[in-house]
Amino acid sequence: MEDKGIFGKIAAILPGLAFMVGTLWVLRTYVEPWMANAVLFGQKGWLIKVTHLNYILLAIIVGMLYRNVLFGGKIPAWAEEGFRTTRLFIKAGVIMLGSLYTIQSLAKVGGIAILLIMTFVFGTIFFVMFFGRLMGMERSMIGVMGAACGVCGVSAAIATSPAVKAKPSDVALAIATILGFGIMTMFISPFIGKALQMSDYQFGAWVGTGILNSGQVLATCLAFNPTIAPGTAVAYGEIWNVVRVISIPFVVFFITMWYWRAEAEAEHMSLGRILKEKFPVFVIGFFGMTFLSSVGALGAEGSNTLHLMRDVMSWIFGIGLVGQGAYIDIREIKTAGGKPLKVGLAAGCLKYAVALLVIMLFVSKESSF
Amino acid sequence: MAGEVKKSGKMTVFRSDRHEDMAAMVLVGCLVVAVLCYMAFIVPTVTVGAPSDGKIVSIAVSESGMVQKGEPLYTFEVKEKKWTQGKVEEKLVTRDIKSAASGKVLKVVAKPGDELKKGKPIVVLEHEKGTLP
Repeated sequence: MEDKGIFGKIAAILPGLAFMVGTLWVLRTYVEPWMANAVLFGQKGWLIKVTHLNYILLAIIVGMLYRNVLFGGKIPAWAEEGFRTTRLFIKAGVIMLGSLYTIQSLAKVGGIAILLIMTFVFGTIFFVMFFGRLMGMERSMIGVMGAACGVCGVSAAIATSPAVKAKPSDVALAIATILGFGIMTMFISPFIGKALQMSDYQFGAWVGTGILNSGQVLATCLAFNPTIAPGTAVAYGEIWNVVRVISIPFVVFFITMWYWRAEAEAEHMSLGRILKEKFPVFVIGFFGMTFLSSVGALGAEGSNTLHLMRDVMSWIFGIGLVGQGAYIDIREIKTAGGKPLKVGLAAGCLKYAVALLVIMLFVSKESSF
Repeated sequence: MAGEVKKSGKMTVFRSDRHEDMAAMVLVGCLVVAVLCYMAFIVPTVTVGAPSDGKIVSIAVSESGMVQKGEPLYTFEVKEKKWTQGKVEEKLVTRDIKSAASGKVLKVVAKPGDELKKGKPIVVLEHEKGTLP
């Protein structure tokens, strides 16, 4: 690139960046509220309740449409520099994501849930690492798919992607796989639950462990028992799901270390040297935010301050996600082949079946809380 | 290193990934400081809304009065549901809602007996400068 000077570079960034910000503004100001109120099939908000489309998925989808339809496969020159700020916003969003977790919230949930969920989260990641390598998948893709299948889909895949240098198409594939798997399990789980005469506690624990996306956990539990109250499937499912989501910082750290350790081996460098030279230091920022949130420096839980902080985070993330979508080339997904899909589906099915077995054998019908 | 720059060059405006990481941390640092300063020193008033659907039983503060962090603001009655043995059991529970920040009560919007939806305003506070509401 020719040297334009700092002001020239900023001027080159502005059109594309303004386009991404404008897109997100339209999505959040007009599209999301419209979807929440639109009546479809006689039900208000059907689009959100059934498809679980939120600003995260909308931003990625619209970004994909820009590149693959509106721009005809290539980001135009006037927007190119602006769209190159995508990763900056994704990384900043991931750092801010750390503010959602506190060490105290993990302690509240109780031993059994933590033990069971952590076993399943890391068990799934190990399985994806093993099976992915066996299938000859790229390590970046294995890292993202491991996070997506192990934890809770979309957030985990996005949070891990910059640390393992994943391509946007890797993230898209991982998200599409787990959402597709989730839709399938959403329909069959209530029937299995009824057939096995599972209690609300058992069903919530199973679905909270076995289904890979937060929105889908909620929908599946409500399909089993539509009542929303303490003691129902949805209440237990959400508790289980929350623990899984809280494990994101540990998963990001674990997968990042796994990726960079192998990079060090491949480049014949010591782990210490590669960490010093190449470790994605923004991951430290993520932990810094979790620490600040745990000591209450960002405002008390439920406070207006924390509310504003999370709103800012969602905007930063959203801008990055429009750009992330615009870097997803549908042709790249096609050439990636079926390997990631097979690995993701195998990991999802295994986790789903083993979780059912463990819960039927070891978890009582009534909860202790 | 050149390889790394080439690999990441497609998706970044920075010289290297490390520069981008540092820029992301600086950006977040600036945003966090801006949010905290705005909430602590600039935002003029804070509206305390209903935490869930329910009914106001009593209000513990009066307009122009002072309230300290942790002191009760109002008492709220909610319907608590519990799913036991395949049935929903409902009982009414009252909760004292405490102030998240110290400050002056500017306005009491709701009154005892009001049935409120989640988020509807109850009290407007001018919080003490330098604290996070």
